[in-house]
Amino acid sequence: MTLTTAPRGTGGTTDPWARERSEVRSEALFPVPAVDLLGCAVHSAAGPGLAALGAALEAPSDGRAPGATDPADLPAAPGDVPYPPLDVRPAAGFDPAAVLGRKGLSRLTRTDLLGLATCTEALEAVGGLGGPDSLTDLDGSPAAGETGVVLGSALGSASAVAEFTRDTLVQERPYLVNPSAFPSTLMNSAASRAAIRHGLTGLNATVSGGPLASLHALRYARNALVRGHARQLLVGGVEELSPHGAWAWQRAGALAPGTALGEGCAVFVTRLSPGPAPDLAPGSAPEAGAAPLARLLACDIGSADPEAGPLGVARRLADCVRGALARSGVTPEDVAVAAVGAAGRRGWAAVEERGLRQAFGPGPEPFRLRVQPVLGETHSAGGALQLAAVLARWQGPSTGAERAAVITSVGHDGSVGCAVVVRPESA
Amino acid sequence: MSERSDRRIRRVAVTGLGAVSGLGLGAREFTAAIREGRGGIGPAGQFDTTGFDHTLAGEVTDFDPAALLERLDHRKWGRSGQFAAAAARMAVEDAGLTPGALAAGRTASCFGTTNGESQVLERLATQRVRQGVAHLDAALAGQADAGRIATAVNHELGLTGEALTLGTACAAGNYAVGYGFDLVSTGEADAVLCGGADASNRATHAGFHRLGALAADVPRPFDEHRDGIVTAEGGAALLLEPLESALARGARVYAEVLGYGMTCDARHMTNPHGPSIAECVRRAHRAAGVKPEEVDYICAHGTGTPANEAAEVAAVREAFGDTTPLPPISSVKSMIGHTMGAAAAFGALVCCAALHEGFLPPSATVRDVDPALGPGLDCVPGRAREARLSIAQNHGFAFGGNNAVAIFGRFDA
Repeated sequence: MTLTTAPRGTGGTTDPWARERSEVRSEALFPVPAVDLLGCAVHSAAGPGLAALGAALEAPSDGRAPGATDPADLPAAPGDVPYPPLDVRPAAGFDPAAVLGRKGLSRLTRTDLLGLATCTEALEAVGGLGGPDSLTDLDGSPAAGETGVVLGSALGSASAVAEFTRDTLVQERPYLVNPSAFPSTLMNSAASRAAIRHGLTGLNATVSGGPLASLHALRYARNALVRGHARQLLVGGVEELSPHGAWAWQRAGALAPGTALGEGCAVFVTRLSPGPAPDLAPGSAPEAGAAPLARLLACDIGSADPEAGPLGVARRLADCVRGALARSGVTPEDVAVAAVGAAGRRGWAAVEERGLRQAFGPGPEPFRLRVQPVLGETHSAGGALQLAAVLARWQGPSTGAERAAVITSVGHDGSVGCAVVVRPESA
Repeated sequence: MSERSDRRIRRVAVTGLGAVSGLGLGAREFTAAIREGRGGIGPAGQFDTTGFDHTLAGEVTDFDPAALLERLDHRKWGRSGQFAAAAARMAVEDAGLTPGALAAGRTASCFGTTNGESQVLERLATQRVRQGVAHLDAALAGQADAGRIATAVNHELGLTGEALTLGTACAAGNYAVGYGFDLVSTGEADAVLCGGADASNRATHAGFHRLGALAADVPRPFDEHRDGIVTAEGGAALLLEPLESALARGARVYAEVLGYGMTCDARHMTNPHGPSIAECVRRAHRAAGVKPEEVDYICAHGTGTPANEAAEVAAVREAFGDTTPLPPISSVKSMIGHTMGAAAAFGALVCCAALHEGFLPPSATVRDVDPALGPGLDCVPGRAREARLSIAQNHGFAFGGNNAVAIFGRFDA
């Protein structure tokens, strides 16, 4: 439910440390091993699945999601917190009971439901833990202990925290809260519940970071796979739509004109690529297993010195993009698509655009893939939904020549991030 | 700077410690209090305790953000972020570094939390109840994101590396130290501020209250009559850097981070599961390249609930095997209470101090060690004991079954 405020100007404040900082940033430019994206599940205003997302992004956009929002999709609002006068876009056709069964769902938050259902579908997309390409332990059983979950989430379920805290204020005694609601107020609830449902005893992590949360998740998961903390990870980001969160956005006036407030979740099944670090040349297919949907190369995140203002944030993003491309062995000319993260936030769209132009100029500019006109602003799920949008685009017929994409975002705290994905020749 | 040599795995040193705690500000003051077995529990003052049956908490009563923070405008940041930023600044100064030097290099921050900016969320909830949701303070709502905890550190120190906030509840401090260790050892970063932070708040207190998990007075980990936790707050920070560069600049090395392991119970949201914790310990040992018999001390998760210590001690026995005697195992929560997302970071800090100074931290409040926990359990009752330690093991477990164990080693120059 965090919001953004418009970037402030440089303001003339002096930075006491500026003189000590080198002009040119030294990035860790050593190459990164590739991570395969083997399966994907997604929910958003475009509906369930990559195909629906691809179709919605293809459709000529008049600023509205395809079809009117079905009121049945809208998460319920408590009596004293009706939705504000704001265009909201719930996950269309999201039917958690169809994925999870009805049992126990009433105890789960919207964030839990989105995260749990999407993780479940992502695992099913690769045939489950026991599928044909599944990891196995030495005894041949499915390697539940080598499979984990990494989810990005701004603060878990904002509505659950809000209702729980309200109870401490209005009940006869402040501790007369609903005890079964307590675990769901924690940020790690969705990822933990996904582990419980599927018996995933490997690494289980939840990372925050507002609009950067999904990129943080991808980066954290990359490291965990490279360092051997897990062999297979369900990685993604989740954000719920709630009247509480909607009021926070409304009060801050942080959405760009014409941008709705959305929600969603995208989860990817990831493993370290079996082959050598991929390049864009033909024949770099993995040695074994199913062809990945795409490969994640570098995912780098940084933050701009707040004293440097919006221009500093743009510069930091440009550095981050250039560094991530270099580490990925991808030239700027190779990048066909830039899926942008800040397009729905007032003031920040321009900052991100400026950073991208610095990173790619004066060469050919990658196509800007903007999910926000269709999905709305999806905050901590944004990076994952942008990545899903790239995969959806690459499943379409007319993008066969596109080999690489970047997923970027900037946050109002000056954080910036860039993930590089490539389409293997075999995919 | 694309040297492949950067890809070699580097040894990682802890060269700076920072603490914002109910037992004092700064690692020196905090460690001295731990050694004496002092208590930091008192009446809760961060929220209105009217109507609660349990009203004690471990709070930072003398926290003055304006005095401790140089760059961060504390009025624009939540208390958890203020804790993290203040602890990080202390760790930098403790390491003999300047923020400018860190900012000029590739420095990241990663901090763990359970409840994020809980006081911000509490104030928003109060506005909704008292004034109505249409009157939420917009600026306050902009401070609600948990991710701002690590960002606060970057802003306070002028860092431009990644700022990661981990939301793995009460194990998050170890997750953060572990991730920082990975960043430094792989060359992704040349220095990392890592730790954890959480603020005392009404919702957390009410939640544990409702679960019947709050102690009548102080937490008594390992005691036969232990009856629960005491909610607490604070921030702890460790500065990690490559051992090689620490030695090159003549830095004091508190300890080396040797490795860490993580597992998930994948069984129940609130009950700990011993076998999964045991597997976590085994993973940490494998990653760190240590054998159970080499571990000299375990800084327990040790919350003070009957269920935690039963599962934790059973897990340690399972992981260490029948033939290895249990090393001393104690809980600093006996003194500072349960600082949630900061808890494992305080544990990590204590492990480093114990390795460096040569002592076993105490379980200060234990009266009768629970015989049900089995024979040969040395939980270091009362005060710290002098002891030369080589390897210390730090536990962090969480709701949701998120487990993380980190291993630290003494470094002799």
